[in-house]
Amino acid sequence: MKRIDAVIRQGSLDEVRERLTNIGVEGLTLTEVIGFGRQKGHTEYYRGGEYKVDFHPKLLLTIVADEGQVEEILEAIIGGARTGNIGDGKIFVTPVDEVVRIRTGEIGKAAV
Amino acid sequence: MDDGRMGTTPQASMRRSRWSLFSRRAVLLLATFALGSLLTPCFADEGPAPDPSGTATGDKTSTTDAAGNGFVVAAPTDPNAPDYARKKKDSDDFQAQMAKEPLAAKLADHVGHLRVATNFSWTLLTGYLVLFMQAGFALLTCGLVRKKNAGHLMMLNFAAYVFAFLAYYAVGYAFQFGAIAINAAPANLGGTPTLNHFLLGSGQWGFLGGKGFFLSGPGYDAGSLCLTLFEVVFMETAGYIIVGAICERINFWSFLLCEIFIGGFLYPIFGCWVWGGGWLSQIGSTLNLGHGYVDFAGSTVVHAVGGFAAMALSVVLGPRLGKYGPDGKVKVFPAHNLVYVVTGTFILLFGWMGFNPGSTLGASDLRISVVAVNTNLAAVAGSAAALLLWYLIFGKPDITMACNGMLAGLVAITAPCAFVSPNSAVVIGTLAGVLVCLGVLFNDRVIKVDDPCGAISVHGYCGFLGAICVGLFADGTYGAGWNGVGTSSYLGHAGQGVTGLFHGDSRQFLCQLLGASLCAVWAFGGTFGVFWIVNKIKSMRVSPDVELEGLDIPEFGLKGYPEDATVTMEA
Repeated sequence: MKRIDAVIRQGSLDEVRERLTNIGVEGLTLTEVIGFGRQKGHTEYYRGGEYKVDFHPKLLLTIVADEGQVEEILEAIIGGARTGNIGDGKIFVTPVDEVVRIRTGEIGKAAV
Repeated sequence: MDDGRMGTTPQASMRRSRWSLFSRRAVLLLATFALGSLLTPCFADEGPAPDPSGTATGDKTSTTDAAGNGFVVAAPTDPNAPDYARKKKDSDDFQAQMAKEPLAAKLADHVGHLRVATNFSWTLLTGYLVLFMQAGFALLTCGLVRKKNAGHLMMLNFAAYVFAFLAYYAVGYAFQFGAIAINAAPANLGGTPTLNHFLLGSGQWGFLGGKGFFLSGPGYDAGSLCLTLFEVVFMETAGYIIVGAICERINFWSFLLCEIFIGGFLYPIFGCWVWGGGWLSQIGSTLNLGHGYVDFAGSTVVHAVGGFAAMALSVVLGPRLGKYGPDGKVKVFPAHNLVYVVTGTFILLFGWMGFNPGSTLGASDLRISVVAVNTNLAAVAGSAAALLLWYLIFGKPDITMACNGMLAGLVAITAPCAFVSPNSAVVIGTLAGVLVCLGVLFNDRVIKVDDPCGAISVHGYCGFLGAICVGLFADGTYGAGWNGVGTSSYLGHAGQGVTGLFHGDSRQFLCQLLGASLCAVWAFGGTFGVFWIVNKIKSMRVSPDVELEGLDIPEFGLKGYPEDATVTMEA
């Protein structure tokens, strides 16, 4: 099993979700985050004082899936989130030790 | 554990010290009330009887025509005055007419009562509008600070109303208006004849009023209490102004002391000198300075007192942690909720429709419409000026400065609103809009006095400007006989009112300059003197840890915005 963390633009959510639903992904967790990468910030003024706006609001999608499905999930996310501009985001894939469904106590692949 | 002895745990000893501190404060409070109720009868027995039921206020002597001529023609008192003969004849004619038409005289009593009733309802209703400004200021200041202090800001604004009111009820009102009947009796409200004694000073050199403590005896009077309601909400305005400059670092108990100080002493004493018939209002006749110091609705009495007291407290407290870097670089703490800021500003504008027009103390004074329009003109001119200036300097219009600009215009027009033309109101508003922008930059970049909400610039600097503007722009179309000066004619014209430099009265300008400067010195000096000492005895600031965490939980045990997870944990 693998964990897929995808940082994407807020505006990409609808497209990504539609594509994920089409390939049969049934569960995901969404967090509102702020961050920066190569997309640089800029300087603003508030009541005469200077301050830097470095962080950009993004969305973090977390999906845990069976190893076999990872490829098509990545395709779906990239297809929905890519605009070609700096700030499209990144995807991280990590191994998962255990998955448990709390309601039934199922573990492993059955719980994904 | 339960062997009858007091516990020896740290919590127990904290409870003990808190209890002994509480019991000391309780004894002090009880002693004050005991003293107050002992003193009250001393001031209750001389002079006219108070009218608590309102059934003896307002009669034929209370009614005038549009031009202000009284229905009752009083007999002249000074046989050596040049027009004595003419006045005596007029008075005798009136008495003869009354004898011929007794029913008309009776009707005049009803008309006089009705006029006073109209003015009571006007004064009370505009007072309620000013009361609503509390909500506006609470929203404005809360929105301008960081989210972690939202609860703290709301509590400061709330407690300000509560504790300053009690101080004003106990001694403030009596200090400010206890002698008003001597030189400035509010005829629109029936004259409040019971408020006729100076505790300090006398005649035209009064310094402190002395009737109406605890709103009892001479203060328990329908006319006096009408004035009380109106004036207490004005005091509250000065009281909450300081919140804008001292927030995010002052501890709650010090804040309560500040409010009691402002409500009981700082505000009412200066207020006595200007509005209570005190010496500053009389220097027109005593020192030949125009109409004496003129401040229609309180640019200085209310706003500059609050603004400069705020400045003194901000200096005593010092800036917020991290606000100014070692090289003086300004660190920005952006507003956490601009929705509150704008809504709060609109509520303040709405309330100002009570603040300025209400200060005639009567709907029978038709200048109220001029006042209302002038007030709005200055508000929008101030906002436009601030917004445009900021756009020119920084390339984007700052929402908070647009709001501060509107408030600056309102503060600056508060003194001159009744005495100037609409065009002048626009100019005054524009000047204020520019001044507030410069003030905000000056405080942060030059003198490094931290003012989270711009209170010092909006209320201090622009309040001072407002008083000066009376001395410049007043055009003589209103205020004949103000402060007892020029009742029949002024500067050679019959019916000429308060006049400024641009319309030929340089002495009025000088008077305004002196009075406004005195206000700044009084408010800053008095506050700094008292609270520099208080701060030396026990620090008025919260600890650095508390300041960094936010004051909501450490001071009040509650968050302004509880996170869902922590609130629903018990459910």
